[in-house]
Amino acid sequence: MTATATKPTTGRSLPDLPERAQWRATLAIAHKELDDAVRSRWFWMWAIAFALLAGVLASVALPGSRIAGSASFGRTAASLVALVQVIVPLMGLTLGAQSIAAQRESGALRFLLSHPVNRTEAFWGFHLGLSAALLAAASAGFGAAGIVTAIRSGGAQAGAFLRITLLAWILVIAMLGVGMFISAFTRRASSALGVAVFVWLAFVFLGDLGLMGTAVATRMPVDALFFATVANPIEAFRLAALGSFVGSLDILGPAGTYAVDALGPALMPVIVGVLVLWMILPSVGAWIRFRTSKDV
Amino acid sequence: MTTRIVAVALLAWGLVTAAASPAAHEPQDLQTLIDDAAPGAVLDLAAGTYRGGITIDKPITVRSDGAAIIDGGGDDTVITIEAPDVTLEGLVVRGSGDTLDREDSGIYVKAPRARIVDNRLDDVLFGIFLHQAPDSVVEGNIIGAKDVFVARRGDGIRLWESHRSVVANNVVDGGRDAVFWFCDDLEIRGNRISNGRYGLHFMYSDRALVEANALVDNSVGSFLMYSKDLVLRRNLISGNNGPSGYGVGLKDMDGALLEDNLLVGNRVGVFLDNSPQTVGIEQWFRGNLFAYNQIGALFLPSVEHNVFWENSFVDNTVQVTVQGGGRFSGNEWSKDGIGNHWSDYAGYDADGDGIGDVPYRLDDLYDHLLDRNPEIMLFSETPAARALDLAARAFPVIKPRPKVEDPAPLISPPAPPEPPFDLGVRPSAALLVGSLTMEAFAATIVLSTRRRRSLG
Repeated sequence: MTATATKPTTGRSLPDLPERAQWRATLAIAHKELDDAVRSRWFWMWAIAFALLAGVLASVALPGSRIAGSASFGRTAASLVALVQVIVPLMGLTLGAQSIAAQRESGALRFLLSHPVNRTEAFWGFHLGLSAALLAAASAGFGAAGIVTAIRSGGAQAGAFLRITLLAWILVIAMLGVGMFISAFTRRASSALGVAVFVWLAFVFLGDLGLMGTAVATRMPVDALFFATVANPIEAFRLAALGSFVGSLDILGPAGTYAVDALGPALMPVIVGVLVLWMILPSVGAWIRFRTSKDV
Repeated sequence: MTTRIVAVALLAWGLVTAAASPAAHEPQDLQTLIDDAAPGAVLDLAAGTYRGGITIDKPITVRSDGAAIIDGGGDDTVITIEAPDVTLEGLVVRGSGDTLDREDSGIYVKAPRARIVDNRLDDVLFGIFLHQAPDSVVEGNIIGAKDVFVARRGDGIRLWESHRSVVANNVVDGGRDAVFWFCDDLEIRGNRISNGRYGLHFMYSDRALVEANALVDNSVGSFLMYSKDLVLRRNLISGNNGPSGYGVGLKDMDGALLEDNLLVGNRVGVFLDNSPQTVGIEQWFRGNLFAYNQIGALFLPSVEHNVFWENSFVDNTVQVTVQGGGRFSGNEWSKDGIGNHWSDYAGYDADGDGIGDVPYRLDDLYDHLLDRNPEIMLFSETPAARALDLAARAFPVIKPRPKVEDPAPLISPPAPPEPPFDLGVRPSAALLVGSLTMEAFAATIVLSTRRRRSLG
């Protein structure tokens, strides 16, 4: 109890320490977090499942490559995007949700904070370490799909492929942030995980189904439909990815045509901007909550 | 230095006397050469640049090995042919005017039996324009276009009332259309047409035979309009996208046969508008591959009497649909007990005869909703849209009426037609390097933890 009471003062006294020392603490925590992640079974399960699925998808989507390389690339990319939509958010959310809550539950957080480490350093240490683990898993998967694609369908759209990879990186960090946000507000790892799975369900299925239902039932105007859809980070990822390998969103019916017309050249920046906001805001929210809470 | 100049001068003098023509690189008067030639003469042009605005009014051959450049200087039509039986071969024609209503062209033919072979046309508004030039041959030409907005471009190849002509093995890039007006019995073979508006465009042209062309990355691969008994066979039609992109569009056609075509990665594979237009006429679609299109086949309402068999519909976002909703009544999806292959067919073949024992029914709930609410196309191919279909199948509370019923679906796809061209898909070094870098990055991160652990 006394430890928690003195914590804010230690936190305030820390800026007096040299800048490098803070970085070093953050990095040390990040390394430790990464070590834990890589040592855990789930990491290998996710990484291998994702790499296998991505590689297999790239192979099965390419039988027409001899006929028309770039067209079948579109197919590969579309299936890869669908895969990323489902798996990557689940990876980020579950990992993020367990981070703080699990450490709190096991007492590891109390132990960590008893060292000369403030909450900000601890938080960004967790964030950095988990991000590195997730980016490694995502890169392994995309690399596998990329190798198959490069050999079998040529590099007509190598740039598009790399852009999709970059978008998936942003998405996985955004989802990690949302997971950590959940984690910062829950005491138990199991309840954080439960909330994370529900949020995943909402992002991937319920949000879209709800919007589809609303559009069908109420004749929702296309502009509202479009912006409500883009607000969902997973949809923002999908639309940005689609835009980068198809070139235009007018294939998406009236709502897509509306977006192309209304936003013109600002369309892609707006969609990617939403994704970047999702990458920043939940993480910052989680950090503020974690910094100001007294729980250990 | 002086010796070199003397040597060059001697060499030039020798060349000039030998060829008995003015020195190269100076604009020569080709018109004079033509005026002086006797009918039936063969003019072998020496290398060099010649002034355009040429008129050929007698049956002669003008040829070169690709080194003679005829430059219109950006004005008017470069070469006009007014006599029958003229041959142009191996010329470079460039720099026509840019006025659409004057039909400024590279080569403008007004007489029968012209042979336009192996020429190269650049920076021209219309490329090769056959106006009432029946029995002509346009073969092996490479046709570029003026780099202007598509509405201001001319047609790479344009035939007007030029029956029985042959258009073969040309490469057309970036023009408006290759268009055929009022031309019967054409043979269109082995052309590659890309980045235009309508790749091949038929207007009131009956009995054309269109084979082994590649129509890639246009707005519409081939638009067939108001023509009868056209045969479109073994063409590669791919990447024709944009808001009104179609692989093949049929408007008011009668008796078309589309056979063994590769319709891959277009916005719409085949678009049918009031075709066939005459009662009692059927149209046939056999052995085509519809793959990776946004919509495999799109019908306007009340289009009837089209017969589809032995086609493969593979992974089109929407396999077949009617614009604005409705069903395909009046069209047949099998012939003589042979249907089509559908990549989303979920039936079985217990008797092993290669034909599914349950009919293929296109009755996706999402597709059904899409017909009435096109705005939800925003969600096509999302996990949510797939989940909706799955749920509708598992709990058939809402049973949409099937749009298509193929009574004899093929279990395995017919062998895909051989593509007429090798599009040159080569392994990509850039993507390979990028992907290997990603793997290396992943490996580095994982290994960095191991190293620290061993350091302790």
